[in-house]
Amino acid sequence: MIFFDTYTIFWREMKRYQKSRSGILIRLIQPAIWIVVIGNTFAGTKPLIQSVGFNGSYIEFMAAGVIILTAIFTSIFGGVNTLWDRRYGFMNKALTSPISRSSIAVGKMLAISLISALQSSLILGIALALGVGIANYLMIIPIMLIVIAFSLGFSGISVVVAATAKSQETFWGVINFLGMPLFMLSPALFPLELLPHWLAFIAKLNPVTYSVLLIREMMTGTAQGFSIAIDVAVICGFVAIMVALASYVFTREVNKPF
Amino acid sequence: MIIFFALKNLLHNVQAVISTRIFVVAIYNPKITCLLLYAVETRSLSKVYRNGLKAVDEISIKIEEGEIFGFLGPNGAGKSTTIMILTTLLKPTSGRAFVAGFDVVTQAKKVRQNIGYVQQDSTVDEYLTGRENLELQARLNHIPKNSIKERIDDIIDLVELSDRQHDAVVTYSGGMRKRLDIAGGLLHRPKVLFLDEPTLGLDIQTRYKIWDYIRNIHKEFGMSIFLTTHYMEEADKLCDNISIIDHGKIKVTGSPKLLKNALGNEVVVFEVDSDLKLGNLLSEIKEMPLVKDVTTDGYEITIFSPSGNQVTPKIFELAGKLGVKIESITLTRPTLDDVFLSYTGRELREENDGFNRKKEREKMRRLRA
Repeated sequence: MIFFDTYTIFWREMKRYQKSRSGILIRLIQPAIWIVVIGNTFAGTKPLIQSVGFNGSYIEFMAAGVIILTAIFTSIFGGVNTLWDRRYGFMNKALTSPISRSSIAVGKMLAISLISALQSSLILGIALALGVGIANYLMIIPIMLIVIAFSLGFSGISVVVAATAKSQETFWGVINFLGMPLFMLSPALFPLELLPHWLAFIAKLNPVTYSVLLIREMMTGTAQGFSIAIDVAVICGFVAIMVALASYVFTREVNKPF
Repeated sequence: MIIFFALKNLLHNVQAVISTRIFVVAIYNPKITCLLLYAVETRSLSKVYRNGLKAVDEISIKIEEGEIFGFLGPNGAGKSTTIMILTTLLKPTSGRAFVAGFDVVTQAKKVRQNIGYVQQDSTVDEYLTGRENLELQARLNHIPKNSIKERIDDIIDLVELSDRQHDAVVTYSGGMRKRLDIAGGLLHRPKVLFLDEPTLGLDIQTRYKIWDYIRNIHKEFGMSIFLTTHYMEEADKLCDNISIIDHGKIKVTGSPKLLKNALGNEVVVFEVDSDLKLGNLLSEIKEMPLVKDVTTDGYEITIFSPSGNQVTPKIFELAGKLGVKIESITLTRPTLDDVFLSYTGRELREENDGFNRKKEREKMRRLRA
């Protein structure tokens, strides 16, 4: 039953996404600008990048970073409709029906992560159109699976913040405070090896780091068994923790008066 | 003959065993202290919010199965809090509540399976079509997949939205949205349907139409309906019984007719030319036999009496004696408005209004963000 309930909420969120077509393109503009502007601005760092063993141009280096950027922001903003649902009564409707509270949280997260993967795949398309190479086009499937898993974890952050925040301001304040640093403190734009030690250390505590590294290696076709296993393990651990945490916090918070 | 007696004995024994078992279960299982006698029952139900506000104060109500029950009260009287406790959205501070025979705290899931809840504000998804909204509602309430289509077809006919079912709800009028909301609350055929201010903000025509729908669904499905409203006319037309709540306490419960009769069968309203001797006149009137209650509003005096015809000449007599000139006089029957005002008073709810205004401002602030 819990799967059916989760699917119900997922279905509703996807329907809503389907009907808001204008938003899809608008949300693509920012990451597209990142690729074009940052990708070309730092084109001169190619020798630096190659010095740590990356064979390719800067734009190819940062393409994985921008895919994750899209995933981070789509998923971390995605939970905001939890606040609207509470304000406009849909939440009460769901809460007074026999479906479980966790399935509301998880259904939302699954929808957000799928939407996030759709947005990211469009960005990947833009990157490929701009001449970024990919070693094997079949790799796009596992890359997207990683993006879905990663976004599932990040949507958990969003749902936790949205369930706890009583207002839009609080939500956006906390989300902006979290989103940018998590993106910056990763090898999305610059290799870890060239960062100061303390920064590199912090970056290694960040799940974003492992997702960026894994996707980059998959795009260049340099992924190796052991490092893949570590990256996948970190991402899976992150997802498991976030799903559990989001279900718990959501269930606790919705029992309080809004 | 012997066989007949044996059978009768056996039957008797079986009955005895069954009744003892029910009895034993009722005693030893604390969860089943209410044996499905009432659609809704509360026992000394109270809710105190964290800021110390006692929104619901020891209320005890009983609603029979199949009854339409009206819950009336001024703004901030505790109606919404009560409905939120009964629909499992809030936990009571003390006391117990049973809906469809299940405890709202310990058997919340069972309660949710048996209720429909139509909220005050429309909760339909604007970008989905009417039909999609009902599909969502059907899934939320675990209606078996193979009967979803049929149920939706039936209900959408009942609320006369079939021709617009494939349009996005954003194009619907207020009345259509409300009908869709009500349809959603009915779809899974709940035992108890909660309708929170079902006609708030709708025009007269739509309001009459919604009343028709409510009567029709009640006739068709026979469920119990728990209705909150500000409109006395609505309660009068629809409800078998009403309770008036104010400051978190139940002031009175009974059928609308009974409550109106309690005030006397008739209302005499008369207007006097000055309020100089009004005090004297009032105290004399209050002493009169056949007068149940007297209220004043400026130069206007309202008298509730079981026999207005007999009281009126006496008032003229009294007024003549005291030198008060009566300008006009009207004889009417008491309305539920009169009942309501006699239990809740005429004063505006200042503190609660202030509280609401603050809340509204916060809502606006959030919306603008």
